[in-house]
Amino acid sequence: MQAVAALERDAELMLRVRVGDDTSFALLLERHRNSVVHFCYRMVLNQAVAEELAQEVFLRVYRSRATYEPTAKFTTWLFRIATHLALNSIRDRRNEKGQESLDKEVLDGVERQVADRQPTVEHDLVYQTKLAEVREAIEALPGKQRAAVLMHKYDEMEYAQIAKTLDCSESAVKSLLFRAYESLRSRLAHMA
Amino acid sequence: MDCAIKSRSGEQALTDYCAGTLDARQAAAFETHLRECHECRRIVDAQREVWGALGQFTPPEVSPDFDARLYARIRSEEEVPAWRKGLRRLFQPAVPWTTWKPAVSLAGACMLLALGFLVRVPESRDLTPRMERVDLEQAEEALEDLEMLTPSSAAAAIAK
Repeated sequence: MQAVAALERDAELMLRVRVGDDTSFALLLERHRNSVVHFCYRMVLNQAVAEELAQEVFLRVYRSRATYEPTAKFTTWLFRIATHLALNSIRDRRNEKGQESLDKEVLDGVERQVADRQPTVEHDLVYQTKLAEVREAIEALPGKQRAAVLMHKYDEMEYAQIAKTLDCSESAVKSLLFRAYESLRSRLAHMA
Repeated sequence: MDCAIKSRSGEQALTDYCAGTLDARQAAAFETHLRECHECRRIVDAQREVWGALGQFTPPEVSPDFDARLYARIRSEEEVPAWRKGLRRLFQPAVPWTTWKPAVSLAGACMLLALGFLVRVPESRDLTPRMERVDLEQAEEALEDLEMLTPSSAAAAIAK
């Protein structure tokens, strides 16, 4: 019930943005900023690129305010834009960079994230290693599988919503997820 | 409850069970199956490890100037001339064009079909009478040749 109310609230806010209410846009940004940036970050594994992509997502939402129609859930629309931009970015960066520089970036990101998380050096090292493995496992997934796992695990989306976001059928999403988790299991099973 | 390694519904039950999204009745049925199926137990254990490992992957905080940068971009967008905004909306829509692919393909196919009919129809109108004309001329010529070959007509022609 709460989720339904939240969805209606998003659509309502966007309809207000359509008629020029910038405060409603600020509220939408406040509500979804973190989830969009975090989703983009887990997709591209680079904070600067993730924030750039998230800015483009909200910019596109703002640009489209005049033609917005609440035909689907606002978050479906939002994540559809984010997924599209993130997949394009992954493709472009794969073309631009060699694997060597990507690996360096992964390690840089891990160091930045875990600064104050563990009390001892030993724990910190173990945590860093685990995190690096998780990132590598996620990075090894094909783009659509990665997006499906992230929406399923971190944004707790239902199969139907993931399907709409990825523009495919529900059964295709289930298959994508199972294959993705199968691949993650084979890479991360030793981490217990 | 279906076995996760034997059926699609079983696979989904396993994923949902580990994600904690199965309802109580389905979860109980799946747990009954787990007690009997060693392979499913092994997959569930591995999936739980994955779920836990993914849970540790926390992204960094969003930059404090994120909103300020976004609003600066919005302000600079508002200074862009209307025609450029229109072009941007056309070529850079919020929802990607790829989702319109089937509609665009269908429209393209219909246009090609229509073009095909337009090109073919006048040609077929012209062709029929011409064919008839050719057939008549050929028949007349054949008849004349036959007449020339018959002995009586050949003698008459020599007498002339």
